[in-house]
Amino acid sequence: MDLQYSESDREFRAKARNWLTANIPQKRRPANGRTSADFDREWQRKLYEHGWAGVAWPKECGGMGLSGLQQVIWYEELARTRAPHYINTTYVALMHAGPTLIARGTEEQKAHHLPKILSGDALWCQGFSEPNAGSDLASLKMRGEVDGDHIVVTGAKMWTTDAQHSDYQELLVRTDPESQRHKGLTWLICDMKSPGIDIKPIRTMLGDEHINTVFYDEVRIPIGNVVGEIDGGWSTAMATLSFERGLGFIGDQLELYERVGRAIDMASKLRLEDGTLAIDDAGIAQKLAWLKTDAMAIRAMTLADIAETDRTGQPDPKGSMMKLLVTNTHKALSEVVGDMMGWDFLEFNGDRSAHPWTYDYLWSWVFSISGGTNEIQRENIADRVLGLPRAR
Amino acid sequence: MYLVPDGDELEIANAAADYIADAMPIDRLHAANSADLRADVRRGLGEMGWYALALPVAAGGSGLSPVEHALFFREVGRQCGPLDVMAQCLAALTIDDAALRTTIVSGEASVSLAVADGEDMRLFGAADADYALLVSRDSAKLLDLSRCQAEARPSLDLALTMRVAAHDLPVIASRNGEYVWMMGQLATAAQLVGIAEAALDQIVEYAKVRETFGKKIGSWQAVRHPCADMAVRLEAARSQLWLAATAMKENHGDAAVHLDAAKHQANQAATANADTNIQLHGGIGVTDEHHAHLYLKHSLVLAKLFGGRRELLSRLLHAELVD
Repeated sequence: MDLQYSESDREFRAKARNWLTANIPQKRRPANGRTSADFDREWQRKLYEHGWAGVAWPKECGGMGLSGLQQVIWYEELARTRAPHYINTTYVALMHAGPTLIARGTEEQKAHHLPKILSGDALWCQGFSEPNAGSDLASLKMRGEVDGDHIVVTGAKMWTTDAQHSDYQELLVRTDPESQRHKGLTWLICDMKSPGIDIKPIRTMLGDEHINTVFYDEVRIPIGNVVGEIDGGWSTAMATLSFERGLGFIGDQLELYERVGRAIDMASKLRLEDGTLAIDDAGIAQKLAWLKTDAMAIRAMTLADIAETDRTGQPDPKGSMMKLLVTNTHKALSEVVGDMMGWDFLEFNGDRSAHPWTYDYLWSWVFSISGGTNEIQRENIADRVLGLPRAR
Repeated sequence: MYLVPDGDELEIANAAADYIADAMPIDRLHAANSADLRADVRRGLGEMGWYALALPVAAGGSGLSPVEHALFFREVGRQCGPLDVMAQCLAALTIDDAALRTTIVSGEASVSLAVADGEDMRLFGAADADYALLVSRDSAKLLDLSRCQAEARPSLDLALTMRVAAHDLPVIASRNGEYVWMMGQLATAAQLVGIAEAALDQIVEYAKVRETFGKKIGSWQAVRHPCADMAVRLEAARSQLWLAATAMKENHGDAAVHLDAAKHQANQAATANADTNIQLHGGIGVTDEHHAHLYLKHSLVLAKLFGGRRELLSRLLHAELVD
C-alpha cells in the first residue's frame, strides 16, 4: 500500500486550487427558479471555456480524462475553495446522461449532445421513477408505442428534479406491452420542448419546487433518440445507476471532512442559550469529533475504492456501502449543528445560501431516499457484498 | 496511491492467518485455563520471527513496516489472541540492549502488558511473566516483575488474566517518544478490526443456514439490514486502518491523527459488530459454548487500550490533517 501522490497529481492540485480561487463566482447562487439554472449554466460555461468540464469524461469525448485520483483531488479542491456545489441543475447531464451516452450512445447522438452538456448549453433531467415505481423501478408501466419512425409515449414520470429547467430528459418507458419487469423497456432521449409534455411541480419539505411530476400525452420521440436497443433499455439504465452508486456522490464524500471542520469552527464561536460555548459542551464536542473520524474513514474508503478502480478499470461494488455511510453521516452532522444553533436553526426561508445548515438538514432525507433509498442500499449490500439468501 | 493490501503484504497476511489460526484458535477459549499465552506457543511464535516483523534488520528483525505489523495483528484479533503477543512485540521495539532483546524476540523471556490505573497498574497476560511493558504516549518502559506482588482479579474477558500491582516496579529498559505507543495503537486497532470481521463472518455464515418460519434467516430484512450495517462499519474502520498504517510507514506528519481516528473507528466497529452478532444469533448467541460472547468481551478490553473513546475524541476535535 502507498499514500503517495505523483508529481503530476500534485501539480494538478496546485493548478486546480489556483484556478478555482481566482475564478469562483463572487455572487451567491439564487435559491430557486430560472435564475438558479442560469447561474449554473454560466458557471459550467466558465469551467468549459477554461478546460475544466467533464472531469470524469474521456478526452475523446471532450472531457478531461482524469484518473480517479485526480477526480478526488478536483472535488477536494471544489470543497476547499467553496466553489458552487456540483449537485445543481447540470448534475444529471454531466453525471448521468453524458456517461450513459458515452457508454451506449451512437456516434451521432454523442456528437450532437456531448458538447452541449459540457458547455452548459443543455441541461438534462431523469425520467425513470413513476408514481408506482420508485425503489422497485422495474415495475414501471409508462407506455411507449413504436409508430413508424417515432415512439409515442403516454403516461407520467415522478420525482423528476429540475424538469422545468431541462432541455432533455433520460426517459425509460415500456415498449413491449406484454413484457414484465426488466424486459421490454427502452431508454429514450426526450426533448423537453416536445408538444404534449406537461410539468407539474411538487412542493417539497424544503419549501422549493425543484421536483416535478411530468405528464406525457402522446409525445412523439424520433426512433433515432433510442439509446441502446429497443426493448433493451434496462441494460442502458443500469449503466447510469451503477455510476450513481459508484462515483456519483464522490464530491459529497470528500466534502464531509470540510463540513465537519466548519461545524467545529462554528462551535468554537457559538454560545448556547445558557451562555456556554458550544465546543465546551461535552456532548456536542464528542459528537463533532466522532463525525470527524467518520468523515476521515469515508475519505479513506474513497481513496481505496478509487485507487482500486484506477488499477482494475472496474467500478467498485461497494458504492452502496458508501452511500449509506455518507447519508447517515450527513444527517448526523446536521443534527448536532441544529442542536448547537438553537432557535437560529429553526429560521428558514428556503434559501440554501442564507440558511445552509437548515437546508442541508432537510435535504438529508432527499439524499437518503434519492438514487436508491438507504433500505435499498442495505438490500444491495446483503445480496452483492455479503451473499445472503435473496429476499426477492 | 493504493490502499488495499497487495502483493507481498498479502503473502504475510495469509501466512499470519494460517499460523495464528493453528497456534491460538478461538476454540481454545472454551477449555479451562486457556487465558494468556502458553509458554510453548510463545516460543513457537518467537521461532517463526513473528515478534520481530517490524523490528529493523540491524536489530535482528525482519525490517517490515507498520503495514505488515497491522496485517499480523488483524489475524491475532480474529482469534481473540492473548495480549501477551502484542506486549512481546512492543517490548522488542522498546529495548536497546541486544542480549535482552534477543530473549524476548525468541520467546525465551515473557512479557505481559501493564496499563496505568490511577495509583495502581493493571497487568494483563501470563501470571509468571518475567516483565511487563508500560506504554504511554511519550515513552515505553519495560518493568521487572521478579519481585512484583500482584493481586489477581477476575477477568470478564476469557482471553486474558488480570492482576493489579503497585506502580513502583523497577524499570530495566525504556524508549522515549511516541513510536511504541503508535505501534501499540495500530496493533490494537488491527485486532479490533479482526474481531469486527470475525463477528460479521460468523453471523453471515449462520444466516445462510439457520431457518425460521420456513425461510433462511438471511432472507429476512430484520436480519439482512443489521448485517449490512455491520459490513459498512467494518469497511469504514478497515479503510481507515490501512490508511493510518500506510501514513505511519511513510512518516506522514499527521499519521498520529489518522491512528487516533482508526482506533476510534475500530473501537466502534468491533463492539457494535460483536453486539449485533449476539443479537442476530438469538438464544444460541448468549450461550457459553458459542464464540459470540468471546468477541464482545475481548473487544471491550481492546477498546480501552491505547486510546478509549473520551481520550481519542478530545484529541481529535482540534487535530489537523496535513495536505
